[in-house]
Amino acid sequence: MRHFYNLVKKEVKELLTREVIVSMVFMLVFFVFMGRIIKGAEEEAKEINISILDLDRTPYLQNILNIVSKQGIEINSIEAEDIENAIKEAKEKNATVLLVIPPGFGVKIQEMEKAELEMYSIMKGLSIKETISSEIIKSIIGALNKSIATSFIQKAVPDKDPEDILSPIHTKDFVVIKERTIPGTPGVLFALITSQSIMIPLILVMVIMYTGMMVMTSMGSEKESKTLETLLSLPIGRGHIIAGKMAGSAIIGFMMTIVYMGGVRYYMSPMMGAPEISIHLKDLGLSMTSLGYLLLGTSLFLAILAALSGCIILGVFAQDTKSAQTMSYPIMLLAFIPFFLSMFKDIETLPLSLKIIVYAIPFSHPMIASKSLIFHDYSTVLWGIGYMAIFIAITMWIGVRIFNTDKVLTARFAIRRKKIGR
Amino acid sequence: MENAIEVKDLEKYYGTLKAINGVSFNVNEGEIFGLIGPNGAGKTTILRIISTLLQITSGSIKVFKHDVTKEAPYIRKLISYLPEEAGAYKNLSGKGYLEFIAGFYSDNEEMVNKGVEIAQLGERITDKVSSYSKGMTRRLLVARALMVAPRLAILDEPTVGLDVINSQEIRRIIKDFVKKGTTVLLSSHNMLEVEFLCDRIALLNEGVIIERGTPQELKEKYKAKNVEEVFIEAVK
Repeated sequence: MRHFYNLVKKEVKELLTREVIVSMVFMLVFFVFMGRIIKGAEEEAKEINISILDLDRTPYLQNILNIVSKQGIEINSIEAEDIENAIKEAKEKNATVLLVIPPGFGVKIQEMEKAELEMYSIMKGLSIKETISSEIIKSIIGALNKSIATSFIQKAVPDKDPEDILSPIHTKDFVVIKERTIPGTPGVLFALITSQSIMIPLILVMVIMYTGMMVMTSMGSEKESKTLETLLSLPIGRGHIIAGKMAGSAIIGFMMTIVYMGGVRYYMSPMMGAPEISIHLKDLGLSMTSLGYLLLGTSLFLAILAALSGCIILGVFAQDTKSAQTMSYPIMLLAFIPFFLSMFKDIETLPLSLKIIVYAIPFSHPMIASKSLIFHDYSTVLWGIGYMAIFIAITMWIGVRIFNTDKVLTARFAIRRKKIGR
Repeated sequence: MENAIEVKDLEKYYGTLKAINGVSFNVNEGEIFGLIGPNGAGKTTILRIISTLLQITSGSIKVFKHDVTKEAPYIRKLISYLPEEAGAYKNLSGKGYLEFIAGFYSDNEEMVNKGVEIAQLGERITDKVSSYSKGMTRRLLVARALMVAPRLAILDEPTVGLDVINSQEIRRIIKDFVKKGTTVLLSSHNMLEVEFLCDRIALLNEGVIIERGTPQELKEKYKAKNVEEVFIEAVK
């Protein structure tokens, strides 16, 4: 254990270079900076100022004002003779939208004819913020339409609920999935499950990327700094060397993932508001149990170990840190395949040949588990855990075997032999 | 006297290339044995095999009667290997590096103090290895190899990259260690060093030992003034 701790300490010190620390700090600062810009832009977008030019002197103006004031939007009336002057005045008042009520608007509404409102969006630039105000106005117009239609219906058929006339057909939706019938639409169910399980594949891909890169860098650095021969000649078991490298790299990899995910979370928080879905998976009997969480944790842990043990084997063939990082791409690619597939497809529904490939990739299993456990499908998860355990045992055995042979050094010999013979 | 190393009919292939061709020699306990030869003669391969880093194609090697193939983990406890092109962990300090190595042995505090003494880097011992010159790094590595007081020290070009004064100091330290009971197997291109340090030498060429004996015996045999002349004559 003392040897293992000594190796882990060395790995952490060697991998946590000034450059790595600077890049982590930079990453964090970058995401916080970008997050603040987006947050600021969104808050600016909320500050909508509407100018209204009422050329009709319509009684419906009050209706409009009532709806707008409910949205907490600043509104001001403009007295101008024509549109050109109204736009000029609206600009002076820093308005984002000029709403013009043309003459005859009120009469047309009263006579149940189609009436027109003119909407001038005053754009100061080409940012996304400029488009938000016109969208809000459109929703206000929608509310106004409904309000006017409702008042007409109430007058014409006072004993009926206007809502029943406006939307006479109601649907009651059910989804049949995995031997269960659940109230709701596929869209809502998909959104709910995705919101619960989307982070698992993302975190796993990031951890595999960073820890894999770290363990490969560690192997490449041993060769580049010419420290590997000394390390291998010390009285330490080969298993300890491999385990020490994996643990040290995992610590730095996890640190980088935490910084990255923390940064991304902050950056994405303005865009990722709470989903407007009133039901929860728990209400549908689809929540993860404590056993589920335990299995998911085990599955994630084993997937990371599988990535590290695979990287150790690849790292043996690296010549230096640069080639080591390039050689980590196949592992990352293997993590990206199930990640993207799980975003757009249910792995269970893939054609058999593709399904076999995905199941053969150990990193697929936590991604499958994150969804299967919601449906309390434990057997799929347990098979995945068993497969990953076998995969790790085999790759670790291969790793120790390689470390016990010439191969751990001969990759370099193959190049040098031509230069110096022996 | 017990044999520290017994090499019998050693052969080593790298793919189809025969690097070592039937080499046999013994190293007595408590002596300094030198392997000399031109580049590519196979010196480093032999040192790496004895250090348990490379596998034998055929033949056998015993270190203090223990087989290097079958008892590699035990042999690693007896030896200390200094590769020719070695480096130290750049993000550690010189002392941190010595502490790391000593962490695999018992009584490591005394070991580190010994290493600091051999390295003679003064206050720079606490600086990061990345700030060291080539010579300073080599001194640290020699200190690392010797501070563990191995029964057998395998030193591949121990003074490479060191200036004359430092080289002499390292040679003196090696001799001191031998007096305390360490056996040394070294390879060197520096004939002066070989003559000064080694009790016996073996001349290696194209994977074969072409001559062996004490420096004095070989000088007499080849009527040469020094080992360098012996080397040139023997390789001809």
